[in-house]
Amino acid sequence: MTTRKRLSGLLADAALILYFVFALFPIAWMVILSLKPANELFSTYFSFTPTLGSYRTVLGDSEGIPFVRFFVNSLVVSVGAVALSLLVGLPAAYASARWRFKGSENLMFTLLSFRFAPELTVIIPLFVLYQRLGLFDTYVGMIWVLQLVTLPLIVWIMRSYFADLTPELEQAALLDGYTRKQAFFKVALPLVKPGVAAVSLLAFIFAWNNFVFPLILTSNEAQTVTVGALSFLGGDRPKYNLTAAAALVSVVPPLLLALTIQRYLVRGLSFGAVKS
Amino acid sequence: MDTHAHDRRHFLALTAGAAATPLLAACGAGFGGGDDKGGGSAADDVTGSFDWKREKGRTVKALLNKHPYTDALIADLKSFTTKTGIKVEYDVFPEDNYFDKLTVDLSSGRASYDVFMLGAYMVWQYGPPGWLEDLGPWMRNSSATGAEWDQADFFPNLLQADQWSLKDGAPLGRGGQYALPWGWETNVVAYNTEVFTKLGLKPAESFDELREIAGAVKRKAPGAGYDGMYGIAVRGSRSWATIHPGFMTMYARNGLHDFTVDGGKLKPAMNTPEAVAFTQDWAGMVKQGGPPSWTSYTWYQCSSDLGAKKAGMLFDADTAAYFQAVKGASPASGKIAFHPGPKGPDGSLATNMWIWSLGMNAKSKKKSASWLFLQWATGKEHLRRAAVTGNHIDPVRKSISQDAAYKDKMRHLPGFIETFETVVDQTKIQFTPQAQFFDATTSWAAALQEIYGGKNAKSVLNALAGDLAAKVD
Repeated sequence: MTTRKRLSGLLADAALILYFVFALFPIAWMVILSLKPANELFSTYFSFTPTLGSYRTVLGDSEGIPFVRFFVNSLVVSVGAVALSLLVGLPAAYASARWRFKGSENLMFTLLSFRFAPELTVIIPLFVLYQRLGLFDTYVGMIWVLQLVTLPLIVWIMRSYFADLTPELEQAALLDGYTRKQAFFKVALPLVKPGVAAVSLLAFIFAWNNFVFPLILTSNEAQTVTVGALSFLGGDRPKYNLTAAAALVSVVPPLLLALTIQRYLVRGLSFGAVKS
Repeated sequence: MDTHAHDRRHFLALTAGAAATPLLAACGAGFGGGDDKGGGSAADDVTGSFDWKREKGRTVKALLNKHPYTDALIADLKSFTTKTGIKVEYDVFPEDNYFDKLTVDLSSGRASYDVFMLGAYMVWQYGPPGWLEDLGPWMRNSSATGAEWDQADFFPNLLQADQWSLKDGAPLGRGGQYALPWGWETNVVAYNTEVFTKLGLKPAESFDELREIAGAVKRKAPGAGYDGMYGIAVRGSRSWATIHPGFMTMYARNGLHDFTVDGGKLKPAMNTPEAVAFTQDWAGMVKQGGPPSWTSYTWYQCSSDLGAKKAGMLFDADTAAYFQAVKGASPASGKIAFHPGPKGPDGSLATNMWIWSLGMNAKSKKKSASWLFLQWATGKEHLRRAAVTGNHIDPVRKSISQDAAYKDKMRHLPGFIETFETVVDQTKIQFTPQAQFFDATTSWAAALQEIYGGKNAKSVLNALAGDLAAKVD
């Protein structure tokens, strides 16, 4: 290897490290903030006496904010929303990939528009409906409304996966005596497993991060972490240490999920993303 | 605290949504939930002698903003339930989202919250569509209101701030009482006594002095051992909340107006030669002595900087400084003093205010119980407890501001009581009441940023006035 090549390799590495530091800096800053005691939060001189006090406060309900309950609520509604979307969305994606009928594209674009329409344009009618139907501040209500976020995502991404599968595979299964349903569950679905994993994670993150729906459609019972974590900002002084701790705790489930399905994720995302 | 950090897009979208609601209702969507009485007030139904137990067994639902005043209220709720037999359920939301939540709730026409917190400016938005109960008939009905509530004990300017005829441009203090003053904030200057002593400075008595001192602190404080300290913390984010504290206070003290009213028509007045000169000077002060990233500054940053000894002065709500000044709250605690701030050229101490008020949903089905709650929450007994044992520090009642226990509590903060007493009678809403308030002030803040960024003040403010003239017409 020539000196020039070695030098450019080193420069590339240095640039990558620089970018790595740049990209992770906000997270590192949040970690530092979350470990700072309140009296060091706004110091202009350098002082850092790490403490887990913020985490104890956030998880211990000592500010009167039931963060753990909000966290569990987020888990329940996000998992519930993704599960329901998968149940409905996978057959829908398969059907839309395999069959064309008059207006099928319009139907698909209508579904997609649910994802891109600003939530605030529908929030007042939804609020009224939820009040009347008794869905306000309930898990069922949140899972249902989050379909606006998760279902279009799942249908559209999975549609490209199914479209990519050669129909001959299912036709062969049909010739072997499988029913359509069996061909779907036993042939098509296993082949798009990486895609299902990837899209489930994406849908989970979108559902987990949603802010407007829980803000307007929940009260105390079904409130999620995105709204609840803001309560730590404080009404008298900004309590950035508590907010940072709450935000970091909130990151854990999507992060763990991503790590768990990492194997599928890389394959899944690189597969489906470029094919539609 | 009035963070007022509304996300403008959210706010506009919600307002648009709210505006669409009657249309949807007309289309048969069934919004409005309206089964309330026609012309008369539900207050007329309350007869006989006043009785705190009249609505025993009821539950009132409250929407509250996260605030130290709220903390004091929640801590005292048991005494309300004991007194009345009424239970209070409440939701508390952080301020950044509180008004979004409230706007949707009110505009939906469904009475999910019977009572709620709001600012006087919100009366201009929520009043005209009929979302707020006129509390006047309740206050006037001696069967509904106990004698001990003592309306005359309120600072009259505060009570008037929530009273309006619902007509754009009409002065406050006439028409319906759409909310009750509960806790408020006056806008004054708080300063770091340590750095002022070291640099041989005294609080500014004129705007020119304020600008000079702000610049002097920024230049000299780092050399005196205050690394990175700048002169004055004022809000600067592109939000309506930027305009109303220090800026509007100083603007009013200079005898300037946001609008003039001529024959019932509003005319923007931010572009008069005097207003242009003032705005240019304000932007210049921020450039010379303000924070480096001023355009993102909300009260959070302003207040924190005073506490962290990054700012020599703060021109904002007295509460924003108070919570940094109390013992152990910040590196600057014990070294923060209060001052009414610069006077206008004619000695004016006209001050703009933020007033946390309590209102009742016009669609509430528990108005009588809700009124008992409002009466208790704004009554002497609770407010005194909240002021003395909690952090309800700017009393809306004269008796509490003179209470010995309250004064003892506040005395350790240099200048707090004196400043409060100096400005209290001259503090009022300095804006012209009108429904486009939030949009107008947000545009005003954007104009201020442009001037700070170097654009010509006259042309920016002329453009602003032209734009607003079309909006408020």
